[in-house]
Amino acid sequence: MAIHEKSLIDADRLQTSDNLVLDGVDVSGHWNTMVLPRYLTNYDTDFARQIRTFGGGENVHRCWQCGSCTNSCTVYAQNTDFNPRYWIYLTNLGLKDDILKDKDIIWTCVSCNRCTNICPKDVRPEGVMKALAHWLEEEGHTPETKSSIFDNEFLGQVYETGRIEDTRVLVNFLRKTNQSLTPPWLIELGKRMSKHLPVTFLMHMGLHLVFKPRTKSWGRTGEVLREYVREQKEIARKARAMPKEAVHV
Amino acid sequence: MQKTVLVVGAGPAGLAAAAGVAGSGAQVVLVEKAAKLGGTPILSGYAKLVPSGEWARDAMGRMVKRVEDAKNVTIHKETKVTKFSGEAGNFTATLSNGTTVQCASVILATGFTHFDSINKPEWGFGSYEDVVTTTQVEQMVAAGKIACPSDGRVPERVAILLCVGSRDRQIGREWCSKICCTVSTNLAMEIKELSPTTDVFIYYMDIRTFGLYEDRFYWKSQEEFKTKFVKARIAEVTRSPDGRLLVKGEDTLVKRPIVIPMDMVVHAVGMDPNEDNPEIARVFGVGLEKHGFIDRAEHYTNTCGTTRRGIYAVGAALAPETIDDSISQGTAAALRAVADLDAVVQKSA
Repeated sequence: MAIHEKSLIDADRLQTSDNLVLDGVDVSGHWNTMVLPRYLTNYDTDFARQIRTFGGGENVHRCWQCGSCTNSCTVYAQNTDFNPRYWIYLTNLGLKDDILKDKDIIWTCVSCNRCTNICPKDVRPEGVMKALAHWLEEEGHTPETKSSIFDNEFLGQVYETGRIEDTRVLVNFLRKTNQSLTPPWLIELGKRMSKHLPVTFLMHMGLHLVFKPRTKSWGRTGEVLREYVREQKEIARKARAMPKEAVHV
Repeated sequence: MQKTVLVVGAGPAGLAAAAGVAGSGAQVVLVEKAAKLGGTPILSGYAKLVPSGEWARDAMGRMVKRVEDAKNVTIHKETKVTKFSGEAGNFTATLSNGTTVQCASVILATGFTHFDSINKPEWGFGSYEDVVTTTQVEQMVAAGKIACPSDGRVPERVAILLCVGSRDRQIGREWCSKICCTVSTNLAMEIKELSPTTDVFIYYMDIRTFGLYEDRFYWKSQEEFKTKFVKARIAEVTRSPDGRLLVKGEDTLVKRPIVIPMDMVVHAVGMDPNEDNPEIARVFGVGLEKHGFIDRAEHYTNTCGTTRRGIYAVGAALAPETIDDSISQGTAAALRAVADLDAVVQKSA
Protein backbone atom coordinates (compact mmCIF):
# COMPACT_ATOMS: atom_id res chain seq x y z
CA MET A 1 0.00 0.00 0.00
CA ALA A 2 1.94 2.93 -1.32
CA ILE A 3 -0.52 5.69 -0.43
CA HIS A 4 -2.41 5.89 2.83
CA GLU A 5 -6.04 7.00 2.88
CA LYS A 6 -6.09 6.76 -0.91
CA SER A 7 -9.88 6.76 -0.82
CA LEU A 8 -9.80 10.42 0.25
CA ILE A 9 -8.07 11.48 -2.97
CA ASP A 10 -10.20 12.38 -5.99
CA ALA A 11 -9.78 9.65 -8.57
CA ASP A 12 -8.87 12.14 -11.29
CA ARG A 13 -5.83 13.28 -9.33
CA LEU A 14 -4.28 9.81 -9.16
CA GLN A 15 -2.03 8.86 -12.04
CA THR A 16 -0.72 5.35 -12.43
CA SER A 17 1.14 3.83 -15.34
CA ASP A 18 0.55 0.11 -15.87
CA ASN A 19 4.01 -0.46 -17.31
CA LEU A 20 6.94 1.63 -16.18
CA VAL A 21 10.61 0.82 -15.79
CA LEU A 22 12.88 3.42 -14.21
CA ASP A 23 16.66 2.92 -14.28
CA GLY A 24 16.10 -0.78 -14.94
CA VAL A 25 13.74 -1.15 -11.98
CA ASP A 26 10.22 -2.31 -12.75
CA VAL A 27 7.84 0.09 -11.02
CA SER A 28 4.70 -0.90 -12.88
CA GLY A 29 1.31 -0.42 -11.30
CA HIS A 30 0.79 1.26 -7.94
CA TRP A 31 4.54 1.61 -7.37
CA ASN A 32 4.57 4.59 -9.74
CA THR A 33 1.32 6.24 -8.58
CA MET A 34 1.60 10.02 -8.54
CA VAL A 35 -0.89 12.36 -6.88
CA LEU A 36 -1.53 15.57 -8.78
CA PRO A 37 -1.54 18.71 -6.61
CA ARG A 38 -4.94 19.88 -5.38
CA TYR A 39 -4.27 23.59 -5.18
CA LEU A 40 -6.15 26.07 -7.33
CA THR A 41 -3.89 27.93 -9.74
CA ASN A 42 -6.19 30.49 -11.30
CA TYR A 43 -9.61 32.11 -11.53
CA ASP A 44 -11.65 32.56 -14.71
CA THR A 45 -12.52 36.18 -14.05
CA ASP A 46 -15.06 36.34 -16.88
CA PHE A 47 -17.12 33.35 -15.82
CA ALA A 48 -19.48 35.06 -13.36
CA ARG A 49 -20.28 37.65 -16.03
CA GLN A 50 -21.16 34.88 -18.46
CA ILE A 51 -23.46 33.19 -15.98
CA ARG A 52 -25.16 36.56 -15.38
CA THR A 53 -26.20 36.57 -19.05
CA PHE A 54 -28.34 33.46 -18.49
CA GLY A 55 -31.84 34.06 -17.13
CA GLY A 56 -31.81 33.66 -13.35
CA GLY A 57 -28.08 34.23 -12.92
CA GLU A 58 -28.23 38.04 -12.87
CA ASN A 59 -27.56 38.41 -9.13
CA VAL A 60 -24.98 35.67 -8.61
CA HIS A 61 -22.21 38.16 -7.69
CA ARG A 62 -24.17 39.41 -4.68
CA CYS A 63 -23.52 36.26 -2.66
CA TRP A 64 -21.66 36.54 0.65
CA GLN A 65 -21.68 32.85 1.42
CA CYS A 66 -23.98 32.72 4.44
CA GLY A 67 -25.25 29.29 3.38
CA SER A 68 -28.96 30.03 3.91
CA CYS A 69 -29.73 28.58 0.46
CA THR A 70 -28.06 25.25 1.09
CA ASN A 71 -29.52 25.09 4.56
CA SER A 72 -33.05 25.59 3.30
CA CYS A 73 -32.66 23.42 0.20
CA THR A 74 -35.15 20.64 -0.47
CA VAL A 75 -32.69 18.68 -2.59
CA TYR A 76 -29.82 19.13 -0.12
CA ALA A 77 -31.99 17.39 2.47
CA GLN A 78 -31.93 14.34 0.20
CA ASN A 79 -28.43 14.68 -1.20
CA THR A 80 -25.78 16.62 0.67
CA ASP A 81 -23.69 16.87 -2.50
CA PHE A 82 -26.28 19.33 -3.77
CA ASN A 83 -24.81 22.59 -2.45
CA PRO A 84 -26.01 25.82 -4.11
CA ARG A 85 -23.90 27.98 -1.76
CA TYR A 86 -20.75 26.21 -2.96
CA TRP A 87 -21.58 26.43 -6.67
CA ILE A 88 -22.36 30.13 -6.35
CA TYR A 89 -18.91 30.67 -4.83
CA LEU A 90 -17.27 28.62 -7.59
CA THR A 91 -19.17 30.68 -10.14
CA ASN A 92 -18.06 33.99 -8.69
CA LEU A 93 -14.42 32.98 -8.65
CA GLY A 94 -14.70 31.25 -12.03
CA LEU A 95 -13.65 27.81 -10.79
CA LYS A 96 -15.28 26.08 -13.75
CA ASP A 97 -13.54 22.72 -13.42
CA ASP A 98 -15.04 22.23 -9.99
CA ILE A 99 -18.52 23.11 -11.22
CA LEU A 100 -18.16 20.54 -13.98
CA LYS A 101 -17.51 17.87 -11.37
CA ASP A 102 -21.11 18.35 -10.24
CA LYS A 103 -22.71 18.66 -13.69
CA ASP A 104 -24.81 15.56 -13.11
CA ILE A 105 -26.57 16.92 -10.03
CA ILE A 106 -26.86 20.70 -10.55
CA TRP A 107 -29.93 20.21 -12.76
CA THR A 108 -31.76 18.24 -10.04
CA CYS A 109 -32.95 21.51 -8.47
CA VAL A 110 -36.72 21.21 -8.04
CA SER A 111 -37.31 24.98 -8.12
CA CYS A 112 -39.14 25.04 -4.80
CA ASN A 113 -37.62 28.53 -4.33
CA ARG A 114 -37.07 28.16 -0.60
CA CYS A 115 -33.50 29.42 -1.17
CA THR A 116 -34.71 32.45 -3.08
CA ASN A 117 -37.22 33.27 -0.36
CA ILE A 118 -34.66 33.05 2.43
CA CYS A 119 -31.63 34.68 0.71
CA PRO A 120 -30.68 37.88 2.63
CA LYS A 121 -28.86 39.35 -0.39
CA ASP A 122 -31.44 38.56 -3.05
CA VAL A 123 -29.04 36.34 -5.00
CA ARG A 124 -31.96 34.20 -6.23
CA PRO A 125 -30.07 30.90 -5.95
CA GLU A 126 -32.86 28.99 -7.70
CA GLY A 127 -32.27 31.17 -10.75
CA VAL A 128 -28.54 30.57 -10.51
CA MET A 129 -29.14 26.80 -10.57
CA LYS A 130 -31.19 27.30 -13.72
CA ALA A 131 -28.53 29.53 -15.27
CA LEU A 132 -25.82 26.99 -14.49
CA ALA A 133 -27.89 24.15 -15.95
CA HIS A 134 -28.43 26.19 -19.11
CA TRP A 135 -24.75 27.02 -19.33
CA LEU A 136 -23.87 23.33 -18.97
CA GLU A 137 -26.32 22.52 -21.73
CA GLU A 138 -25.17 25.28 -24.05
CA GLU A 139 -21.51 24.36 -23.63
CA GLY A 140 -22.37 20.76 -24.39
CA HIS A 141 -21.32 19.48 -21.00
CA THR A 142 -24.63 17.71 -20.48
CA PRO A 143 -26.19 15.53 -23.19
CA GLU A 144 -29.79 16.08 -24.22
CA THR A 145 -31.82 14.45 -21.48
CA LYS A 146 -35.22 12.79 -21.62
CA SER A 147 -36.45 15.72 -19.66
CA SER A 148 -35.24 18.26 -22.24
CA ILE A 149 -36.68 16.13 -25.08
CA PHE A 150 -40.03 16.24 -23.30
CA ASP A 151 -39.75 20.01 -22.79
CA ASN A 152 -39.00 20.57 -26.47
CA GLU A 153 -41.95 18.48 -27.60
CA PHE A 154 -44.21 20.30 -25.16
CA LEU A 155 -42.99 23.75 -26.21
CA GLY A 156 -43.13 22.85 -29.90
CA GLN A 157 -46.84 22.13 -29.61
CA VAL A 158 -47.44 25.34 -27.72
CA TYR A 159 -45.76 27.32 -30.49
CA GLU A 160 -47.74 25.48 -33.11
CA THR A 161 -51.25 25.52 -31.68
CA GLY A 162 -51.19 27.60 -28.50
CA ARG A 163 -52.08 24.48 -26.50
CA ILE A 164 -50.92 20.94 -25.93
CA GLU A 165 -52.58 17.68 -26.71
CA ASP A 166 -51.68 15.16 -23.97
CA THR A 167 -51.85 12.15 -26.21
CA ARG A 168 -49.68 13.70 -28.88
CA VAL A 169 -47.06 14.91 -26.36
CA LEU A 170 -46.89 11.44 -24.87
CA VAL A 171 -46.72 9.50 -28.12
CA ASN A 172 -44.10 11.82 -29.67
CA PHE A 173 -42.04 11.73 -26.47
CA LEU A 174 -42.07 7.92 -26.40
CA ARG A 175 -41.13 7.81 -30.05
CA LYS A 176 -38.29 10.32 -29.84
CA THR A 177 -36.80 8.50 -26.87
CA ASN A 178 -37.07 5.14 -28.60
CA GLN A 179 -39.46 3.74 -26.02
CA SER A 180 -42.34 1.33 -26.54
CA LEU A 181 -45.60 3.10 -27.35
CA THR A 182 -47.38 0.68 -25.05
CA PRO A 183 -45.49 0.66 -21.77
CA PRO A 184 -47.21 -1.41 -19.03
CA TRP A 185 -48.15 1.69 -17.00
CA LEU A 186 -49.93 3.21 -19.99
CA ILE A 187 -51.88 0.02 -20.65
CA GLU A 188 -52.87 -0.03 -16.97
CA LEU A 189 -53.95 3.61 -17.19
CA GLY A 190 -56.07 2.83 -20.25
CA LYS A 191 -57.69 -0.15 -18.57
CA ARG A 192 -58.68 1.83 -15.49
CA MET A 193 -60.01 4.76 -17.52
CA SER A 194 -62.09 2.47 -19.74
CA LYS A 195 -63.97 1.25 -16.64
CA HIS A 196 -65.57 4.70 -16.47
CA LEU A 197 -66.57 4.61 -20.16
CA PRO A 198 -65.21 8.12 -20.92
CA VAL A 199 -67.01 8.36 -24.24
CA THR A 200 -66.89 12.13 -24.66
CA PHE A 201 -63.24 12.22 -23.63
CA LEU A 202 -62.28 9.54 -26.15
CA MET A 203 -64.20 11.33 -28.90
CA HIS A 204 -62.40 14.59 -28.14
CA MET A 205 -59.07 12.82 -28.04
CA GLY A 206 -59.64 11.18 -31.39
CA LEU A 207 -60.86 14.39 -33.04
CA HIS A 208 -57.98 16.46 -31.63
CA LEU A 209 -55.42 13.95 -32.86
CA VAL A 210 -56.78 14.26 -36.37
CA PHE A 211 -57.65 17.97 -36.57
CA LYS A 212 -55.00 19.51 -34.25
CA PRO A 213 -57.21 22.35 -32.96
CA ARG A 214 -55.52 25.70 -32.22
CA THR A 215 -56.23 28.18 -29.47
CA LYS A 216 -58.75 30.75 -30.64
CA SER A 217 -57.15 33.56 -32.65
CA TRP A 218 -53.68 32.03 -32.11
CA GLY A 219 -52.70 33.28 -35.58
CA ARG A 220 -49.00 34.06 -35.85
CA THR A 221 -48.53 34.18 -32.05
CA GLY A 222 -46.50 30.98 -32.06
CA GLU A 223 -44.16 32.22 -34.78
CA VAL A 224 -43.65 35.52 -32.99
CA LEU A 225 -42.93 33.77 -29.70
CA ARG A 226 -40.46 31.42 -31.28
CA GLU A 227 -38.70 34.30 -33.01
CA TYR A 228 -38.57 36.28 -29.74
CA VAL A 229 -37.02 33.41 -27.84
CA ARG A 230 -34.48 32.89 -30.63
CA GLU A 231 -33.59 36.60 -30.65
CA GLN A 232 -33.16 36.71 -26.88
CA LYS A 233 -30.90 33.67 -26.94
CA GLU A 234 -28.85 35.24 -29.71
CA ILE A 235 -28.47 38.50 -27.78
CA ALA A 236 -27.40 36.59 -24.67
CA ARG A 237 -24.94 34.52 -26.69
CA LYS A 238 -23.39 37.66 -28.17
CA ALA A 239 -23.12 39.26 -24.73
CA ARG A 240 -21.33 36.19 -23.44
CA ALA A 241 -18.83 36.25 -26.28
CA MET A 242 -18.13 39.97 -25.88
CA PRO A 243 -14.68 40.85 -24.58
CA LYS A 244 -14.68 42.11 -21.03
CA GLU A 245 -13.46 45.57 -22.03
CA ALA A 246 -16.60 46.14 -24.03
CA VAL A 247 -18.98 45.52 -21.16
CA HIS A 248 -17.21 46.98 -18.11
CA VAL A 249 -17.54 44.64 -15.13
CA MET B 1 -7.22 79.91 37.67
CA GLN B 2 -6.20 79.19 34.04
CA LYS B 3 -8.65 79.75 31.19
CA THR B 4 -6.61 77.83 28.64
CA VAL B 5 -6.90 74.30 27.22
CA LEU B 6 -3.88 72.63 25.67
CA VAL B 7 -4.68 70.44 22.66
CA VAL B 8 -1.95 68.09 21.46
CA GLY B 9 -2.26 66.93 17.86
CA ALA B 10 -3.98 68.64 14.93
CA GLY B 11 -5.71 65.76 13.17
CA PRO B 12 -9.49 65.35 12.91
CA ALA B 13 -9.89 64.79 16.68
CA GLY B 14 -7.54 67.59 17.76
CA LEU B 15 -8.97 70.10 15.29
CA ALA B 16 -12.50 69.27 16.50
CA ALA B 17 -11.41 69.66 20.13
CA ALA B 18 -9.66 72.97 19.44
CA ALA B 19 -12.67 74.32 17.56
CA GLY B 20 -14.98 73.17 20.37
CA VAL B 21 -13.01 74.86 23.12
CA ALA B 22 -12.47 77.99 21.02
CA GLY B 23 -16.20 78.14 20.32
CA SER B 24 -16.88 78.38 24.05
CA GLY B 25 -14.68 81.47 24.24
CA ALA B 26 -11.81 79.89 26.16
CA GLN B 27 -8.19 80.03 25.03
CA VAL B 28 -6.67 77.13 23.09
CA VAL B 29 -3.04 76.29 22.55
CA LEU B 30 -2.74 73.74 19.73
CA VAL B 31 0.54 71.85 19.46
CA GLU B 32 1.35 69.79 16.36
CA LYS B 33 4.60 67.91 15.77
CA ALA B 34 4.29 68.00 11.95
CA ALA B 35 4.78 71.07 9.78
CA LYS B 36 1.21 70.87 8.50
CA LEU B 37 -2.18 70.74 10.19
CA GLY B 38 -4.75 68.08 9.28
CA GLY B 39 -3.23 64.95 10.74
CA THR B 40 -2.90 61.57 9.06
CA PRO B 41 -5.51 62.16 6.32
CA ILE B 42 -3.35 65.02 5.06
CA LEU B 43 0.12 63.76 5.98
CA SER B 44 -0.53 60.33 4.41
CA GLY B 45 -2.20 61.82 1.35
CA TYR B 46 -5.61 60.12 1.67
CA ALA B 47 -7.96 60.43 -1.30
CA LYS B 48 -11.70 60.48 -0.58
CA LEU B 49 -12.76 59.99 3.01
CA VAL B 50 -15.13 57.33 4.29
CA PRO B 51 -18.07 57.68 4.53
CA SER B 52 -18.59 61.22 3.17
CA GLY B 53 -16.74 60.65 -0.11
CA GLU B 54 -15.25 64.12 0.23
CA TRP B 55 -11.63 64.66 -0.73
CA ALA B 56 -9.45 64.65 2.38
CA ARG B 57 -7.86 67.99 1.47
CA ASP B 58 -11.28 69.65 1.25
CA ALA B 59 -12.75 68.13 4.40
CA MET B 60 -9.61 68.58 6.51
CA GLY B 61 -9.04 71.95 4.88
CA ARG B 62 -12.32 73.23 6.33
CA MET B 63 -11.44 71.90 9.78
CA VAL B 64 -7.99 73.52 9.62
CA LYS B 65 -9.37 76.84 8.39
CA ARG B 66 -11.96 76.96 11.18
CA VAL B 67 -9.20 76.60 13.77
CA GLU B 68 -6.74 78.94 12.03
CA ASP B 69 -9.42 81.61 11.76
CA ALA B 70 -10.34 81.42 15.44
CA LYS B 71 -8.78 84.37 17.29
CA ASN B 72 -8.41 82.50 20.58
CA VAL B 73 -6.36 79.59 19.16
CA THR B 74 -2.57 79.75 19.27
CA ILE B 75 -0.95 77.20 16.95
CA HIS B 76 2.54 75.76 17.36
CA LYS B 77 3.67 73.61 14.40
CA GLU B 78 6.72 71.33 14.40
CA THR B 79 6.49 71.40 18.14
CA LYS B 80 6.23 68.83 20.92
CA VAL B 81 5.49 69.11 24.62
CA THR B 82 8.73 68.29 26.40
CA LYS B 83 7.91 68.96 30.05
CA PHE B 84 4.65 68.87 31.89
CA SER B 85 3.74 69.41 35.53
CA GLY B 86 1.01 70.62 37.85
CA GLU B 87 -2.46 69.35 38.51
CA ALA B 88 -5.96 69.59 37.07
CA GLY B 89 -6.87 73.26 36.77
CA ASN B 90 -3.28 74.45 36.86
CA PHE B 91 -0.86 72.64 34.58
CA THR B 92 2.38 74.00 33.15
CA ALA B 93 3.62 72.65 29.83
CA THR B 94 6.97 73.45 28.24
CA LEU B 95 7.12 73.18 24.46
CA SER B 96 10.14 72.17 22.37
CA ASN B 97 10.24 75.70 20.91
CA GLY B 98 10.80 77.09 24.40
CA THR B 99 7.28 78.40 25.02
CA THR B 100 5.67 77.79 28.40
CA VAL B 101 1.95 77.21 28.49
CA GLN B 102 -0.27 77.54 31.57
CA CYS B 103 -3.44 75.50 31.14
CA ALA B 104 -6.33 74.07 33.10
CA SER B 105 -6.73 70.87 31.13
CA VAL B 106 -5.22 68.95 28.25
CA ILE B 107 -6.70 67.06 25.34
CA LEU B 108 -4.40 64.46 23.82
CA ALA B 109 -5.36 63.92 20.19
CA THR B 110 -2.13 62.21 19.29
CA GLY B 111 -3.55 59.66 16.88
CA PHE B 112 -2.00 56.46 15.64
CA THR B 113 0.82 55.12 13.47
CA HIS B 114 0.09 52.97 10.40
CA PHE B 115 1.24 49.39 10.84
CA ASP B 116 4.57 48.92 9.08
CA SER B 117 4.11 46.00 6.68
CA ILE B 118 7.81 45.23 6.87
CA ASN B 119 6.85 43.41 10.07
CA LYS B 120 4.96 40.79 8.05
CA PRO B 121 7.72 39.87 5.57
CA GLU B 122 5.90 36.76 4.31
CA TRP B 123 3.41 39.06 2.57
CA GLY B 124 6.08 40.49 0.32
CA PHE B 125 6.10 44.17 1.27
CA GLY B 126 9.62 45.49 0.86
CA SER B 127 10.59 42.47 -1.26
CA TYR B 128 8.36 43.15 -4.27
CA GLU B 129 7.61 46.60 -5.60
CA ASP B 130 4.06 45.67 -6.55
CA VAL B 131 3.14 44.86 -2.97
CA VAL B 132 1.83 48.14 -1.59
CA THR B 133 -0.25 49.42 1.32
CA THR B 134 -3.71 50.97 1.39
CA THR B 135 -1.99 54.29 2.07
CA GLN B 136 -0.08 54.03 -1.21
CA VAL B 137 -3.25 53.16 -3.10
CA GLU B 138 -4.94 56.19 -1.48
CA GLN B 139 -2.14 58.27 -2.95
CA MET B 140 -2.58 56.63 -6.37
CA VAL B 141 -6.30 57.37 -6.28
CA ALA B 142 -5.57 60.98 -5.26
CA ALA B 143 -3.19 61.22 -8.24
CA GLY B 144 -5.84 59.69 -10.51
CA LYS B 145 -3.94 56.65 -11.80
CA ILE B 146 -3.71 53.04 -10.67
CA ALA B 147 -0.45 51.49 -11.81
CA CYS B 148 1.96 48.77 -10.72
CA PRO B 149 4.98 50.53 -9.19
CA SER B 150 7.41 48.07 -10.83
CA ASP B 151 6.72 48.99 -14.46
CA GLY B 152 3.77 51.36 -14.50
CA ARG B 153 1.36 48.90 -16.13
CA VAL B 154 -2.31 49.03 -15.25
CA PRO B 155 -2.99 45.93 -13.13
CA GLU B 156 -5.36 43.34 -14.53
CA ARG B 157 -5.87 42.02 -11.04
CA VAL B 158 -5.48 43.51 -7.60
CA ALA B 159 -5.62 41.52 -4.36
CA ILE B 160 -6.39 43.41 -1.17
CA LEU B 161 -5.33 41.53 1.96
CA LEU B 162 -7.32 42.47 5.04
CA CYS B 163 -6.09 42.41 8.65
CA VAL B 164 -2.46 43.25 7.90
CA GLY B 165 -1.18 44.26 11.32
CA SER B 166 -4.51 43.57 12.98
CA ARG B 167 -5.99 40.52 14.70
CA ASP B 168 -2.64 38.78 14.73
CA ARG B 169 -1.22 37.35 17.94
CA GLN B 170 2.03 36.47 16.13
CA ILE B 171 2.96 40.12 16.01
CA GLY B 172 1.20 41.19 19.19
CA ARG B 173 -1.65 43.01 17.49
CA GLU B 174 -4.73 41.58 19.13
CA TRP B 175 -7.09 44.32 18.07
CA CYS B 176 -9.31 44.95 15.06
CA SER B 177 -8.36 48.21 13.38
CA LYS B 178 -12.03 48.85 12.80
CA ILE B 179 -11.99 50.81 9.55
CA CYS B 180 -9.79 48.81 7.13
CA CYS B 181 -12.69 46.65 5.86
CA THR B 182 -14.68 49.72 4.93
CA VAL B 183 -11.66 51.54 3.52
CA SER B 184 -10.72 48.48 1.45
CA THR B 185 -14.17 48.02 -0.05
CA ASN B 186 -14.14 51.74 -0.84
CA LEU B 187 -10.69 51.49 -2.44
CA ALA B 188 -11.88 48.53 -4.52
CA MET B 189 -14.60 50.78 -5.94
CA GLU B 190 -12.15 53.62 -6.55
CA ILE B 191 -9.74 51.27 -8.34
CA LYS B 192 -12.60 50.05 -10.50
CA GLU B 193 -13.64 53.61 -11.28
CA LEU B 194 -10.15 54.49 -12.45
CA SER B 195 -9.63 51.19 -14.26
CA PRO B 196 -12.91 49.41 -15.14
CA THR B 197 -11.15 46.34 -16.55
CA THR B 198 -9.24 45.61 -13.35
CA ASP B 199 -10.56 42.76 -11.23
CA VAL B 200 -10.31 43.37 -7.49
CA PHE B 201 -10.20 40.50 -5.01
CA ILE B 202 -10.50 41.05 -1.26
CA TYR B 203 -9.02 38.26 0.86
CA TYR B 204 -10.76 38.26 4.23
CA MET B 205 -11.29 36.37 7.47
CA ASP B 206 -14.39 38.39 8.36
CA ILE B 207 -15.87 41.53 6.89
CA ARG B 208 -16.52 44.16 9.54
CA THR B 209 -18.19 47.06 7.77
CA PHE B 210 -20.19 48.04 10.81
CA GLY B 211 -23.34 50.15 10.98
CA LEU B 212 -24.32 52.02 7.86
CA TYR B 213 -21.04 51.10 6.14
CA GLU B 214 -22.56 47.70 5.38
CA ASP B 215 -24.63 48.50 2.31
CA ARG B 216 -22.92 51.75 1.38
CA PHE B 217 -19.50 50.14 1.10
CA TYR B 218 -19.48 46.33 1.38
CA TRP B 219 -22.68 45.65 -0.57
CA LYS B 220 -22.11 48.40 -3.08
CA SER B 221 -18.57 47.27 -3.77
CA GLN B 222 -19.75 43.71 -4.31
CA GLU B 223 -23.01 44.37 -6.13
CA GLU B 224 -22.24 47.38 -8.28
CA PHE B 225 -18.50 47.08 -8.72
CA LYS B 226 -18.24 43.28 -8.74
CA THR B 227 -15.48 43.10 -6.15
CA LYS B 228 -14.77 39.44 -5.42
CA PHE B 229 -14.56 38.41 -1.76
CA VAL B 230 -12.42 35.36 -1.10
CA LYS B 231 -12.40 33.77 2.33
CA ALA B 232 -8.73 33.07 2.82
CA ARG B 233 -6.02 34.46 5.01
CA ILE B 234 -3.05 34.64 2.70
CA ALA B 235 -0.03 32.73 3.96
CA GLU B 236 2.59 34.05 1.61
CA VAL B 237 3.14 36.35 -1.36
CA THR B 238 5.85 35.31 -3.81
CA ARG B 239 6.78 36.07 -7.39
CA SER B 240 6.20 33.83 -10.40
CA PRO B 241 8.80 33.54 -13.17
CA ASP B 242 6.75 35.86 -15.42
CA GLY B 243 7.12 38.68 -12.91
CA ARG B 244 3.57 38.61 -11.57
CA LEU B 245 2.90 38.07 -7.91
CA LEU B 246 1.49 34.84 -6.50
CA VAL B 247 -0.76 34.85 -3.47
CA LYS B 248 -0.73 31.58 -1.58
CA GLY B 249 -3.15 30.48 1.07
CA GLU B 250 -6.11 28.29 1.77
CA ASP B 251 -9.52 29.12 0.38
CA THR B 252 -11.50 27.93 3.37
CA LEU B 253 -14.80 27.79 1.46
CA VAL B 254 -13.59 25.35 -1.18
CA LYS B 255 -11.19 23.79 1.35
CA ARG B 256 -8.33 23.88 -1.13
CA PRO B 257 -4.92 25.56 -1.19
CA ILE B 258 -4.64 28.41 -3.68
CA VAL B 259 -1.71 29.84 -5.65
CA ILE B 260 -3.20 32.67 -7.69
CA PRO B 261 -1.40 35.15 -9.94
CA MET B 262 -1.97 38.87 -9.20
CA ASP B 263 -0.49 42.07 -10.60
CA MET B 264 -0.69 44.11 -7.43
CA VAL B 265 -1.14 43.13 -3.80
CA VAL B 266 -2.44 45.72 -1.35
CA HIS B 267 -1.96 45.41 2.40
CA ALA B 268 -4.91 46.84 4.31
CA VAL B 269 -2.65 48.09 7.08
CA GLY B 270 -4.06 48.47 10.55
CA MET B 271 -3.66 51.14 13.18
CA ASP B 272 -0.85 50.77 15.67
CA PRO B 273 -0.68 52.87 18.81
CA ASN B 274 1.20 56.07 18.00
CA GLU B 275 4.87 55.16 18.01
CA ASP B 276 5.44 58.16 20.33
CA ASN B 277 2.99 56.84 22.95
CA PRO B 278 5.71 55.76 25.43
CA GLU B 279 7.12 59.31 25.31
CA ILE B 280 3.65 60.86 25.53
CA ALA B 281 2.81 58.65 28.53
CA ARG B 282 6.06 59.63 30.25
CA VAL B 283 5.75 63.38 29.61
CA PHE B 284 2.08 63.67 30.57
CA GLY B 285 2.07 60.99 33.27
CA VAL B 286 -0.82 59.08 31.77
CA GLY B 287 -1.14 55.30 31.59
CA LEU B 288 -1.20 53.11 28.50
CA GLU B 289 -3.50 50.13 28.18
CA LYS B 290 -2.13 46.69 27.35
CA HIS B 291 -1.95 47.23 23.58
CA GLY B 292 -0.11 50.52 23.96
CA PHE B 293 -2.97 52.94 23.34
CA ILE B 294 -3.71 55.61 25.95
CA ASP B 295 -5.65 54.13 28.86
CA ARG B 296 -9.16 55.29 29.65
CA ALA B 297 -10.58 56.39 32.95
CA GLU B 298 -14.03 55.26 34.01
CA HIS B 299 -15.96 56.19 30.91
CA TYR B 300 -19.56 56.71 31.98
CA THR B 301 -19.09 59.89 33.98
CA ASN B 302 -15.60 60.84 32.80
CA THR B 303 -15.93 60.69 29.03
CA CYS B 304 -12.55 60.63 27.28
CA GLY B 305 -10.75 60.79 30.62
CA THR B 306 -7.26 59.31 30.98
CA THR B 307 -5.70 57.93 34.15
CA ARG B 308 -4.64 61.46 35.15
CA ARG B 309 -7.24 64.02 36.21
CA GLY B 310 -7.55 66.96 33.86
CA ILE B 311 -6.04 65.15 30.89
CA TYR B 312 -8.34 63.76 28.20
CA ALA B 313 -7.62 61.63 25.17
CA VAL B 314 -9.64 61.40 21.96
CA GLY B 315 -9.73 59.61 18.65
CA ALA B 316 -7.14 57.04 17.57
CA ALA B 317 -4.99 57.88 20.60
CA LEU B 318 -7.42 55.72 22.60
CA ALA B 319 -8.03 52.91 20.11
CA PRO B 320 -8.40 52.43 16.36
CA GLU B 321 -11.04 54.97 15.43
CA THR B 322 -12.91 56.35 12.45
CA ILE B 323 -12.48 59.97 11.41
CA ASP B 324 -16.14 60.74 12.15
CA ASP B 325 -16.01 59.28 15.65
CA SER B 326 -12.66 60.97 16.32
CA ILE B 327 -14.32 64.28 15.54
CA SER B 328 -17.23 63.48 17.86
CA GLN B 329 -14.84 62.53 20.64
CA GLY B 330 -12.81 65.69 20.10
CA THR B 331 -15.97 67.72 20.51
CA ALA B 332 -17.06 65.72 23.57
CA ALA B 333 -13.70 66.19 25.25
CA ALA B 334 -13.83 69.91 24.48
CA LEU B 335 -17.04 70.16 26.48
CA ARG B 336 -15.44 68.30 29.37
CA ALA B 337 -12.26 70.40 29.23
CA VAL B 338 -14.27 73.64 29.18
CA ALA B 339 -16.26 72.46 32.20
CA ASP B 340 -12.94 71.92 33.97
CA LEU B 341 -12.27 75.62 33.64
CA ASP B 342 -15.03 76.02 36.19
CA ALA B 343 -13.74 75.45 39.73
CA VAL B 344 -17.04 73.96 40.90
CA VAL B 345 -16.77 71.13 38.45
CA GLN B 346 -13.13 70.62 39.33
CA LYS B 347 -13.93 70.13 42.98
CA SER B 348 -16.73 67.65 42.42
CA ALA B 349 -15.16 65.71 39.58
